[in-house]
Order: sequence, then C-alpha cells, then structure tokens
Amino acid sequence: MRHCKQIVDLVSQEMESKLPWSIRMEVKMHLLMCKNCHRYAKQLKFMQAELNTLEQNLNTVSLAEPAKERIKKTLTLAINESTND
Amino acid sequence: MTQQSPETWLNDYGDLLYRYALLRVRSETTAEDLVQETLLAGFVSWDKFTGKSSVSTWLVGILKHKIIDFFRKHRHEVKQIQTDELADDILAYQFDNEGNWQVDLVEWDMPDTQMNQQQFSKIFNMCISRLPQRMADLLFLRSIENVPMTECCDLLGFESDNQLWVTLSRTRVKLRQCLNTHWFEQG
Repeated sequence: MRHCKQIVDLVSQEMESKLPWSIRMEVKMHLLMCKNCHRYAKQLKFMQAELNTLEQNLNTVSLAEPAKERIKKTLTLAINESTND
Repeated sequence: MTQQSPETWLNDYGDLLYRYALLRVRSETTAEDLVQETLLAGFVSWDKFTGKSSVSTWLVGILKHKIIDFFRKHRHEVKQIQTDELADDILAYQFDNEGNWQVDLVEWDMPDTQMNQQQFSKIFNMCISRLPQRMADLLFLRSIENVPMTECCDLLGFESDNQLWVTLSRTRVKLRQCLNTHWFEQG
C-alpha cells in the first residue's frame, strides 16, 4: 500500500502525464478511502483552473508608454537599416 | 502578401504580447525586451508568414520561442536552486515519518462572487511570487505551456523526469499550503 505522500506525488503527475492503468486504479481507490488526499486532489484541480485563468486576469495590464516609445524607435531604426541595404 | 509594419503590430498586439510574456517571465523589463525581439523577428521573417493563422497567433508563436530562449540563456545554477527548494521543507511538517498527513485538510470554500474572485487572484499571485524561482518556472513551463518533458528538464536543469515530477509535486504542495494559510483559513 502506498502512503499519502506518494499518492500526493501521483495525483500531481497524473495532471500532465498518463499513468499506467494499475497505478491509476490504485490512486482512485486511495482517494475513495482517504478524505485528506481526496481534498488535496480537488484543491489541485482548482489551483490548475486558476493558473489557466491568470492570463485573463491580466487584461488591464498594458505596455508602459516609455517602453512603447523605446520599442517603436528600435523598430523604426531596424526598418530603415533594412531598406537601405 | 504586402509587408506589414511592425509599428502597427506594436499598436495592435503590443499589449497582448506583453501580457503573455509578463505572465511567463514575471519581470516587466524582460517582458518588454521580449516584445521588441518578437516584433523584430516578425519583421525579418515576414516572408515566412503563410497567412494560415492570424498575425497575432503567428507573433505569439514567435514569442513562445523567444521565451524558451530566455530560459535557456538564464539556466539556473543547480546547486543554488536545490538549497532554495529544500529550505523550509514543507513536506516535513505536512507528513509524518510514515508519509501520512499530519493535519487534516480543511475543505475549501471556492471564491464565488466577483469581488471575492479578484481578491483571491491577488493572493494567488502573491503565493506564486513566493515560490522559489525554478519551481515557479516549472509550473508555467510544464503545467501551463505544456513544454515537452525533455525540453523542460534541459531548460530547468533536472537530471531525470522523475526529479522533475517530484519537484512539480512539491511546488503544488507549497502553493496549496500558501493559499490555505492566506485565503482559506482567513475566511
């Protein structure tokens, strides 16, 4: 029998890779019996969903004006150089 | 196809590219540099643009490569990382010697209202910023970007897939613990 610490690692790994069938079943069984690991797995899923929405929450962030000006200058310079070639 | 002006791209997609980069490299100046490099690269390789995707998608594709290059150039000092990651070993007080939970986990009340959600996002970002650098990088590269395993190991200096999985799991334990303390136990 695996202990909770190992199940925690497997639950995490399962989010990005496919585990062998027998291990998946073992994890499933453990989660059915263990309240703490069950909660942990649920909380990881919630965290993952939040990670995926971080991008939307950045909606109000934009390039600072000075940075924009600097980039524009560099671009203009590069374009002029390439047309002079 | 007519040549497009990178200055127009800057106006149209500058913010989009900036946000994308900022989320992944978590440094404003680096993100600004990456936007500039991306627009320049787009200008130089415009003849390779096939028109199969939109210009913005194409530019984001270039930016992705630039971000990976950035990580490659700033490869972490592995020794330093390991001490960072092992410092205040969270697993030690989450699990007993037999590997069972020391304390019971509380059920989380998920943030429901919009205001709640905004405040939660702040805490969430704070908890991410508290992670050791490589752990945060790993979270983004592997669990959001889905960068392939071999490349992830190479970029972040993991010696084996297993070492990466274990570290990713510890990262999540840390993040969960921080959220639990600063949000869910505050309620």
